Amino acid sequence: MLLSFQGVRKQFGTTMALAGVTGAVDGRAVGLLGPNGAGKTTLMKVCLGLIRPDAGSVSVMGMDAVRDPNAVRHRLGYSAEGPGRMPGLSGLESVAFAAELCGLRYREALLRAHDMLDLVGLDESRYRPVETYSTGMHQRVKVAMALVHDPDLVLLDEPTSGLDPESRDELLDLVVHLRDSDGPAVVLSTHLLHDVERTCDAVMIMQNGEVRFAGPLRDLQVGRASEYEVRTALPTPALAEHLAARGVRVTLGGRADVLMVGLPDGDGPEAIWAAASACGASVVHLKARAASLEDAFLEAVGMRPAVPVSWPRPAVVPRG
Amino acid sequence: MADGRLPDQIHAVGYRRHVRKRRPQRAPWPIARTLLVLAWRRRATKFALLACGGAVLIAGAALVAQLLFRRLLGASPIAPTHVVGSAQEVFAGFLRGQFYLTAIAIAVIAGGCVAEDRAAGALELYFSRPLSRLDYALGKLLGAGLVPLSTLVVPTLLLWLVAVGVSPPDLGAELLWLAVPALSAATLGTVFLTATLVGVSAVGQKARTVSVAYVTGMILLSAVGEGLCEAGQRWAGYLVPERDLRTVVDALLHSGMPSLAAQLVPNRAALPNADVALSLVALLVFSAGGLALLAMRLRREVTG
Repeated sequence: MLLSFQGVRKQFGTTMALAGVTGAVDGRAVGLLGPNGAGKTTLMKVCLGLIRPDAGSVSVMGMDAVRDPNAVRHRLGYSAEGPGRMPGLSGLESVAFAAELCGLRYREALLRAHDMLDLVGLDESRYRPVETYSTGMHQRVKVAMALVHDPDLVLLDEPTSGLDPESRDELLDLVVHLRDSDGPAVVLSTHLLHDVERTCDAVMIMQNGEVRFAGPLRDLQVGRASEYEVRTALPTPALAEHLAARGVRVTLGGRADVLMVGLPDGDGPEAIWAAASACGASVVHLKARAASLEDAFLEAVGMRPAVPVSWPRPAVVPRG
Repeated sequence: MADGRLPDQIHAVGYRRHVRKRRPQRAPWPIARTLLVLAWRRRATKFALLACGGAVLIAGAALVAQLLFRRLLGASPIAPTHVVGSAQEVFAGFLRGQFYLTAIAIAVIAGGCVAEDRAAGALELYFSRPLSRLDYALGKLLGAGLVPLSTLVVPTLLLWLVAVGVSPPDLGAELLWLAVPALSAATLGTVFLTATLVGVSAVGQKARTVSVAYVTGMILLSAVGEGLCEAGQRWAGYLVPERDLRTVVDALLHSGMPSLAAQLVPNRAALPNADVALSLVALLVFSAGGLALLAMRLRREVTG
């Protein structure tokens, strides 16, 4: 198992950063997904041993990250989110220095640094001081620093934040390349769903310091395959209530006459037809929805209500 | 390539696993070397080192001139005691001046050794590697310590070698003994300056602020200590690091071999053992204070 957490808690003052994180995830590229403040960075730092949790256990590639952080750091690379840099050093020197800190000899470190800077696509600007770098160049240097000692796992914390579309594409390409090569596995922390969808084969969704989902990406999306968009001739609360009473997940669509219906495993669209027929609703449109990570994510973090809170009833116009 | 542009370099090489051929090296040395490399790129560092080098040259010239003079004139006109005394005074004067010059040099060169890492968020870069707090502290102490080592200890050793080399044959053995107090003073000064500077740097946020605060603090401490001491408050003398160093060195000379050098302790015929011990304790307390500040900072910033 790549990462495994059991009841990990961490509190900073009155803020509960990690509220009993429990979950395990495996894969070549794992997306750590969650809104800002979900606890992603804290969790990464706990994996590195930079933060000691108040309670719980953390296993990184089978090693106990709380008891033996140094052993974990030998096999881990980390690209921090912040502007952390070694002022005064050039990009090449920064990467070589990072390698030396991991035990490589100077000459070996320099050669390896050149290799990694070639990989991330930093050209002759590698000889310039890092203070003169753009955000994109700086991100590349940080990724090269994380990779330079040839770790088995690399943690990238918001590597695409602040990048222009082209640089972002290139960086995501690099993650895909690492995933598909025999290089290190990647954990990509981000709040951008697209980045995860494009690069990762597994995902861990966090919110409010808790894990909402951990597992292969396809598992998250397979669960969505039986969701249907239903449009009725008129807004029909009876259909929603009928379906909800049968334990079917029903949410409001974008309009009052549109329902999003998630059928339990084994049920087909005929269940919707039957319900419509039973409550006299006239279905004018029924379409299976494409699996979307965004929906899965919103549902996992509880931002899409499972049943409508209130239902707009059609106005009753008196006759005559 | 058809449009004349180079292809995207990303993945041109591809990720290659690294096969480590040699045993891993310890982290403190790259940390120390990087600290010094970065310092060398600043003009202020070169000026500070130039000033220290100038002081060494002046002391060396004075020493050589005295000893050669005695050698050329022969044994009769100048008493051996006087010559050894002069050499000892040159060493004492050199160490006193060089101590303050080195304080300035180390503040300029290594003032930001920890402070800049904190300000730039580089501590996270260090400690996300397999690096312990001890490795980091040793690296910073080694980097900062190489400054007084090269401006205080090595020049003292060189001056002593020159003195012994050019001295008249009958005084060679007497001058040999000067190495012990001179090198002891230089080494103690190195430990004191390194530990206190790194400690102050661990508290500060900006290199320049740390440098100015350190040098100002050192001058103020010396001035206040000397002033209070002259006003009858003897305890205040222990607050002056350079005075503490002198006390220890004088004691070393005095308790040394029954040689000419033993007769040369100026104005301090008999130093009470308690004074010497307290001076040594004062120096060690200052140094320990610096190390404690560094340890506390690292404990607060870094887990494990």
